[in-house]
Amino acid sequence: MSTPAIELRDLSRHFRVRSGLFGAPRHVVAVDGVSFAVPAGGVLGVVGESGCGKSTLARVILGLLPPTSGEVLVDGQRLAAMDRRARARLIQPVFQDPFSSLNPRRRVRDIVALPLVAQGGFAQSEIRSRVDEVLGRVGLDPAMGERLPAQLSGGQRQRVAIARALVLRPRIVVCDEPTSALDVSVQAQILNLLAELRRDLGLTYLFISHNLAVVEHVATEVAVMYLGRIVERRPTEALFAAPEHPYTRALLASVLTPEPGLGIPDVGLGDAMPDPANIPPGCRFHPRCPAAIARCRSEAPLPRRGRDIEVECHLAAVG
Amino acid sequence: MSAAPRAALLEVRNLRISFGGLAAVRGADLTVYRGETHCLVGESGCGKSVTALAVMGLLARNGRRKADRLAFDGQDLLRLSESRLSKLRGDRMAMIFQEPMTSLNPAYTVGSQMAEVYRRHRGGTRAEALDRAEDLLAKCRVTSPRLRLGQYPHQLSGGLRQRVMIAMALMCDPELLVADEPTTALDVTVQAQILRLLMDLQRDLGLALMLITHDLGVVARMAHRVSVMYAGEVVESAPAAELFGNPTHPYTRGLLACVPVPGKVRRDQPLGSIPGVVPRIGHGFAGCAFRDRCGQARAECARTVPWRTSGEHGYRCILPPGWAGPASLAA
Repeated sequence: MSTPAIELRDLSRHFRVRSGLFGAPRHVVAVDGVSFAVPAGGVLGVVGESGCGKSTLARVILGLLPPTSGEVLVDGQRLAAMDRRARARLIQPVFQDPFSSLNPRRRVRDIVALPLVAQGGFAQSEIRSRVDEVLGRVGLDPAMGERLPAQLSGGQRQRVAIARALVLRPRIVVCDEPTSALDVSVQAQILNLLAELRRDLGLTYLFISHNLAVVEHVATEVAVMYLGRIVERRPTEALFAAPEHPYTRALLASVLTPEPGLGIPDVGLGDAMPDPANIPPGCRFHPRCPAAIARCRSEAPLPRRGRDIEVECHLAAVG
Repeated sequence: MSAAPRAALLEVRNLRISFGGLAAVRGADLTVYRGETHCLVGESGCGKSVTALAVMGLLARNGRRKADRLAFDGQDLLRLSESRLSKLRGDRMAMIFQEPMTSLNPAYTVGSQMAEVYRRHRGGTRAEALDRAEDLLAKCRVTSPRLRLGQYPHQLSGGLRQRVMIAMALMCDPELLVADEPTTALDVTVQAQILRLLMDLQRDLGLALMLITHDLGVVARMAHRVSVMYAGEVVESAPAAELFGNPTHPYTRGLLACVPVPGKVRRDQPLGSIPGVVPRIGHGFAGCAFRDRCGQARAECARTVPWRTSGEHGYRCILPPGWAGPASLAA
């Protein structure tokens, strides 16, 4: 077994947030004991609703937030023991909003060159040639390098963000909702580009999205996150063919494919919205679960593992 | 669909909207029938939202609206005074938005806002208006509706705010409900719940629903009729089953090919995509706005392109009906 590109060991991240000036501080459990490994060259899709902790997970894996407990290993090395420059050579982010993640006053060329400059030790001529090369890789004409972000379309800006992520030739890219701000035709271009880059450069992706159809298209494996925990993790085809966790089933049911005549499904979840500052006892999904039994209200399910499946549900069949 | 002749509630002919030198909508035609959901679909900047705002008379001050006809239930909206129009708006025609706080005032309770809409158009006592508000909140599946009347918008979750906004829009029994991306900011499970609610309300109340969205999945599941907009024009319009089964305009076909569909679109193949970007259109632009991105473009596309129809299916393109065969996705 080769070294996983990303490995999480019982990773947690909590926050203390104050609601309002005089509000009592609340303890928010954003990520709660998450463990998984992503093999080199794989794409782990992380799905879940807002507030489930998926973006916090991304920030911890990128080293932008320290974990409260647990460990992140990147390419077999402890993230906590790495300095910023070493980390940047290994793992890079692509964020959702190409309008706010690019410095509006810098030319594209300088934005893409910044990680090289921050590393130090690159000659001007090498920086120039690496920037031109990576711009070409992401489908941008080198002449675009002279423009400002405001002069680019949304799709072009996301290409710039991808170029900046790749200029240090990292092994791993964490994509946090990379196409959510884009129109559907532009989304398709960016998804195709990410697939091509992964194939040509042997990249590993952690791909976070609320859009299950997109995740189905790009991921080799999918982790479903609910209130800070991974409640089901499986190879993509198996998960979409026969979801085990009731929450996964509800998420899949709410995917609206462009097929007329099918109507709007009843996803069967009540109105109890999940609150990471107030995690229910027992199974954390039980207040919304259409299949909950008495045991679910009192006893938290442990992860159950079978061949190609890991699921946290008292009722799930693990074959 | 019923065999009874359908009555047009909203008729839009040759609608043009401009902001300074920019033509946002260039000659859109649209008919919304009573009791039908008509989806207006397209990508950002195609003119779908401004079309809705123009219908409601809510364009920004620098927006100019012209049309050959803009009629609601036979009344000419172009000639209506602002005071007559505001009597109609909120009463017989209502609008909901992507962001519920566009319509909700953070400083007033849910109950007082809902009662105000009703009493302004219909009069009556505050108690009567609050009873009606409670009924409608319940109909919109808001839990503990009596309690909600006394709450402020910030005390509600996003999905609940959306339900409150919908209930408020229904206070005066509108005949036309215009919904601009009402579920775009919501989580997928909440989106499904809100769309189900809108679909049930549309059917039970016999509403004409004009639904604006960029999401082809939402369109396919909700629409009786669909109009696809591109660069300020309606490029194709058809009953939903026909549009998805037999998309004809190259832009519609391109857009459908871009959508990943679990289990239907090959995962090891690239998605379809549309090369290039939407052109910036100034006054005096002629011909098909899609021609620079179209694989089928010819010299004649630079001239005025005809609107072709066969039955209820219309599109603006030089290509003949059936030029590309049926869509592969719609089985």
